[in-house]
Amino acid sequence: MTARQLVSPERIVVAIVVVVVVIVCATTPQFLTLNNTKAILASTSVVGMAALGLTFITIVGSVVSLATAQSMAVVAMVFLAAQSWGLVPAMLISLVVGVVIGGIQGLAVGYWSINPVVLTIVTAFALTGLATLVSGGTTVNASGDGFKGLNATPGGIPLSVFVFAALALASQIVLQFSIKGRQIYLVGENRLAATSAGLPVARVVVFAWAAFGLLSSVGAMFLAAFNTSATINVGGSLTFDAIAAVLTGGTSIAGGRGSAIRTVIGVLAISIISDVLLLRGFSTGAQIAVKGVLILVFVVVVQVRAGRVAR
Amino acid sequence: MNSEAQGQPVVLIDGLTRSFGTSTAVDGVSFSVNAGEIRGLCGHNGAGKSTVIKMLTGQLQPDSGTITVDGEIVRLRNPHAAQRAGIAVVDQELSVIPALNVAENLRLGDVSAGFFPGRGARGIQRQLLDDLGLADVRLDERVTDLNLGQRQLVEIARALSRNARLLILDEPTATLSDSEAQLVFRAIRRVAARGCAIIFVSHRLREVLELCDSVTVLRDARLVGTASSAELTVSQLIVQMLGEAPHRPARTAGAALDERSPLSVTDLRVPGSVSGFTLEAVPGVVYGIAGQVGSGASDVLRAIAGLHPGSRGAIGLAGSSLTRNDPTSRLGSGIMYVSNDRKGEGLFLEKTVGENLTSTRLPHLSRAGFVGLNRERQQRRLLAGLTGIPDARIGEAVSGFSGGNQQKVFIARTLDRPDARVLLIDEPTRGVDIGGRAAIHELLRSAAASGMIVIFASTELEELIELGDVILTMKDGHVVRRHDGDIRGDELMRDMTHDEDARR
Repeated sequence: MTARQLVSPERIVVAIVVVVVVIVCATTPQFLTLNNTKAILASTSVVGMAALGLTFITIVGSVVSLATAQSMAVVAMVFLAAQSWGLVPAMLISLVVGVVIGGIQGLAVGYWSINPVVLTIVTAFALTGLATLVSGGTTVNASGDGFKGLNATPGGIPLSVFVFAALALASQIVLQFSIKGRQIYLVGENRLAATSAGLPVARVVVFAWAAFGLLSSVGAMFLAAFNTSATINVGGSLTFDAIAAVLTGGTSIAGGRGSAIRTVIGVLAISIISDVLLLRGFSTGAQIAVKGVLILVFVVVVQVRAGRVAR
Repeated sequence: MNSEAQGQPVVLIDGLTRSFGTSTAVDGVSFSVNAGEIRGLCGHNGAGKSTVIKMLTGQLQPDSGTITVDGEIVRLRNPHAAQRAGIAVVDQELSVIPALNVAENLRLGDVSAGFFPGRGARGIQRQLLDDLGLADVRLDERVTDLNLGQRQLVEIARALSRNARLLILDEPTATLSDSEAQLVFRAIRRVAARGCAIIFVSHRLREVLELCDSVTVLRDARLVGTASSAELTVSQLIVQMLGEAPHRPARTAGAALDERSPLSVTDLRVPGSVSGFTLEAVPGVVYGIAGQVGSGASDVLRAIAGLHPGSRGAIGLAGSSLTRNDPTSRLGSGIMYVSNDRKGEGLFLEKTVGENLTSTRLPHLSRAGFVGLNRERQQRRLLAGLTGIPDARIGEAVSGFSGGNQQKVFIARTLDRPDARVLLIDEPTRGVDIGGRAAIHELLRSAAASGMIVIFASTELEELIELGDVILTMKDGHVVRRHDGDIRGDELMRDMTHDEDARR
């Protein structure tokens, strides 16, 4: 690495932001306590799992899903409704539903080259309609209480944090070392080149979307367990939280570069910022506004650099 | 525009010279074009045509020599300066914007135009279109609604609207049908009749002799001479362009290794570009397909590689018929394809050399779906060794390498793999320097010698003659002739550029 790269403007901006955040964190009362650390981790895991899934489709070149919240809400509703069959069958059914929802979108993007942004907007509408139709528009309550196992806190740390860590590690291994993972990067970098090289482009795209379905449905189960009931709106702002986390981590919106580790960093960064604002007593509106501006700065800096490299 | 009498030199080029590094692209070229004259500019690839044109249009600066327009020496530091000096250019890449209307397109990039068009502007534009034979095209008509010939004329009108004294047409008909080309020719004659000097560049030699008053020929960066079209035939023109035409006596190298496992292509058709291509190719022989851009040569390779879903015709390999027409199953049958568009659909530019080298053979290096890192590293070293790239640079992004090294990496993806049986390569040495070129030819020849069926397409005579054991010439989607044994450059050239059959 040359000296010029070391002191590039992007790095200076990132360094300044990191230093400021560290100083602010260190001088914020209660920030460096064990309880606060646990709180940060707990708030990270559900959006983190969604963001890990999104990382796959962003790297493969499918930009983002705008139906993340709705997909997860549907899985959450299925999970709670299936509790009467026991925890494990409910989990399996939920995972299958998640993979199918993701996989079908992957087929559309992979085989028919449908624009993923348009596709996922349509998917969000379709899932909302379907869920409302099936549930009759009412809240879905748990049909058993096996789900409570997911709310366990071994060692005082929520189970979801451990699961998130394990999924992050597994995602990183798949992306970095598996054939499909490697091909995800190649397809995302240049789909035409991948096609003319004879790579199974469509299958790789379907794989990435199915991985998104799988990872986000794990998140959806924890979301359901935490809320104990679900409507189609249970996902809240997850769609954009996940996108923000992926982009803040530095995964390229154009595809071809990024990693699960980067997404973990992105999720943690956003959680820490939110936490500090909360501890410092900012109003909710101010919290969201400041968070938005900081994410914007990060994303612009990171993505501008990625764009320059790509050129 | 002007009422100058014909016969005055509008542009005079004197001793123009330009080098790139150690190679001289244009060496002391002098000629002049008179008002009202249509001048053809001919030369084989690399003769210096495009460098001369880039100097005339301000895209390149000459090392020495002068350009005189209307008796005044001009310094064309950039394209705007050329435009102000009265030099306009139209090239084969249409630069009209389809979403805008005709009038808006005519105003594009005009350095003298104000922000708001004056009232008189529309009248001038109307006049221009009428003069070019576009009387039935409205100024507010969208360019999307025009055919290709009309679009080309709008482009010419735009060039003329800047009071051009010299109009340069660089391959303006390469993508046009015969009738569209005739429309353009009529317009060019009218423009000349009004006193504008014209330089016309085309690979279609018959067209050049038909349209131009005189022809200037360049060869190997130097001027060969200028002669009246009336005194020239296509054959004479080819001799002037090639000089001592490259010629290769029959050679014994490249003998068929295995007659029993051929690639047989029967009546291959691609709608709009290939109208019937048949070839039986055997291992050990290097086949060249010779054809200019648009001849269908590239599309033959693409169709064999499974990249033309709409193609028809039978393709068989070693006796079994390949029914599935997609790139993944063709790769599975052992057909490797190297595109002519290295950057667009070839390499993964931001990935490292190593990642590119093994990108298409990950399953070979893996167990249970995961890549064996040691085997991968060894394979990368081995392939880098074949390309002459040092181990230390395997981890660098391939975008930082020279064209020649990039091309070697691209080709190396297909080498040293037991499943490879056919290598299809389009323009093997585009953008590659002399040294790299020899190395790439050597790679391809040794691939053939090791039992691969090698088929390449090229527009370059030297490359075809150097590399091809058997050469098929193509024009307008069909094979003109098969050459083997004794191969003469001038005959290839004639097949590629001049064909008695009507175009498309």
